[in-house]
Amino acid sequence: MSAVVIQILILGLLLLVLPAVIGGLCARAYDGGGRLIFRWVSGQFLLWAGFQLMCVPMILRQQSLSRLALCFGAYGAILVFFAVALEIRHRKRGQVPAFFEPMKERTKKKVPESAVLWAVFAGGLLFQLVQAVRLAFDDADDAYFVAVASLAESSDQMYQLSPYGQGEMELDFRHALAPFSIWIAFLARVSGMRTVVVAQVALPVVLIAMAYGIYYLFSCSLFPEQGGQRALFMIFTELLVLFGNYSVYTSETFLIGRTRQGKATLGSIVVPFLLLLLLVLLRYLQKGEKVPISLYLLLGAAGMAGCLCSTLGALLSCMVIGLCGLCGAVCYKRLRLLFSLTACCVPCVGYALLYVFVK
Amino acid sequence: MWSSVSGAFRDYMGTGLIGICFLVSLVYLFLTEKRKHLRILFLYMPFCFLALFFNPLFSKLVYRMAEDEIYWRVLWLLPMTVTIAYTFVRLWGEIGQKRGERAARILGLCLAGIVAASGSFIYASPSFSRAENIYHMPDAVVEICDAINVPGREVMAVFPLELTQYVRQYSPVTCMPYGREMTRGEWAILHPLKDEMEKEVIEMEKLVPLVREYRCHYVIFRPGQKVEGNPEDYGWARFGEIQGYTVYRDPHEELVIPVMD
Repeated sequence: MSAVVIQILILGLLLLVLPAVIGGLCARAYDGGGRLIFRWVSGQFLLWAGFQLMCVPMILRQQSLSRLALCFGAYGAILVFFAVALEIRHRKRGQVPAFFEPMKERTKKKVPESAVLWAVFAGGLLFQLVQAVRLAFDDADDAYFVAVASLAESSDQMYQLSPYGQGEMELDFRHALAPFSIWIAFLARVSGMRTVVVAQVALPVVLIAMAYGIYYLFSCSLFPEQGGQRALFMIFTELLVLFGNYSVYTSETFLIGRTRQGKATLGSIVVPFLLLLLLVLLRYLQKGEKVPISLYLLLGAAGMAGCLCSTLGALLSCMVIGLCGLCGAVCYKRLRLLFSLTACCVPCVGYALLYVFVK
Repeated sequence: MWSSVSGAFRDYMGTGLIGICFLVSLVYLFLTEKRKHLRILFLYMPFCFLALFFNPLFSKLVYRMAEDEIYWRVLWLLPMTVTIAYTFVRLWGEIGQKRGERAARILGLCLAGIVAASGSFIYASPSFSRAENIYHMPDAVVEICDAINVPGREVMAVFPLELTQYVRQYSPVTCMPYGREMTRGEWAILHPLKDEMEKEVIEMEKLVPLVREYRCHYVIFRPGQKVEGNPEDYGWARFGEIQGYTVYRDPHEELVIPVMD
């Protein structure tokens, strides 16, 4: 029992605490960047981007998961060091962005209705998190993605053993360039929790919460004044997710049913986060203010995270960043924006070219 | 190409009612939203995505680079959830200002009803079932794998097709002569052992040499499986019955447990 508690604590540290600390590096990406949820999400994207950068070359060179875990651990430690140093520096200067929205910004008139709406939303979210543990979603693709993670964790080899039957296999470039399953194996290796439990139970709980965290950040950007509007937005979002099974292809179906597969994370977390960052970017353009470098950094990281989730992620990330850049450059007559956003897409283009080259 | 792309769009949109909600939201925002940055995100970008999606050159390019069966994923770029939710909240606020809180509440309930009626409840999907254990795997797979595994080495076992997709997720040291690839029509190749195992009546005379050819330690028969011939007559030992599945051990293939240092 105590071993299980320790495993849960380590997973909590890896999936909640570390990203929240590392996210401090991007706290100044926009005026709501100090929010704990934004720190958590953006920290996770920085970690995913680094994972992708390290993992793909190591897979291609057929190196071990242990070695990758070591390198990624060092990367995480460096990010934590810089995030803590930055936090201390800002605290000394008294410029710490607030974790939670300051009370003074809140509407003075208490609206009991909004509390009820938030309670409804929280109930719906809790229901979904409980269902993620209680219900199993039968999807044959798990036979590849989860088995690859299980095999990597147990054999210490990445994409070298066949997930379906037996023996070794030729490197499957399409999947090896988007090694989300190896990230699951890494979590299982470090936490000591069985890979299948990490994939089928722990990740859905964390990633569903993260998806709603991103929608919450959307609500904060779309409705700057607090009150019932944000809560109502979250309830409608929740309803659209809960009733999003109008076809088996929707990102909502993937979020709730197939969370442990990278493509689900691409559609329901990476793409919405990219859109959120682009909304922030467009707001800077609207106000005629300078766009902070940390926002571009996050856009690049989100693109890389898209590549980690799926090989198609490279194309989708570039498409969404490119089209927004084009629209922004035309509408605001800021052609220089295109250069900055092109730079954000360079890693994705690199992965796309690598895929075309090795395919 | 056009029929394939439009088919992908139709399949993605399902009944199309949520698509209509999205379209109505776009029209509403086109008429009422004045802020340029929101117009770009909610109007111009979705329009460009759709234009690209239906563009034959673009679809040809993606079809060539990736697989044609995943082209619909481009539609994930449409911010449908955020756009519909934002529009509904705007409508709610507008009605609240013009007609009062009571009207806004009624509208909110109506809009929630529209979403519920237009979509399909995700947990009603037949793919969901009560998890039998913390691994979200069938109990049969967990118990069989735990029973047949030996420490420090792999074992080879033939499973009924319906269990193959779970085995290596739960136990990477359990190997199989064939796996999930046999369950997908376009991937399934001729596999004599699979063909024999999936027959209504398995003939031991044909099965035994195939099991030995693939060097299997264990064979698992599904509940109620009809078998012609007695497995024990071929030297197989009945290992046990687990969750209705009968497990046989073929001693022809040695299963030496490695000495652990």
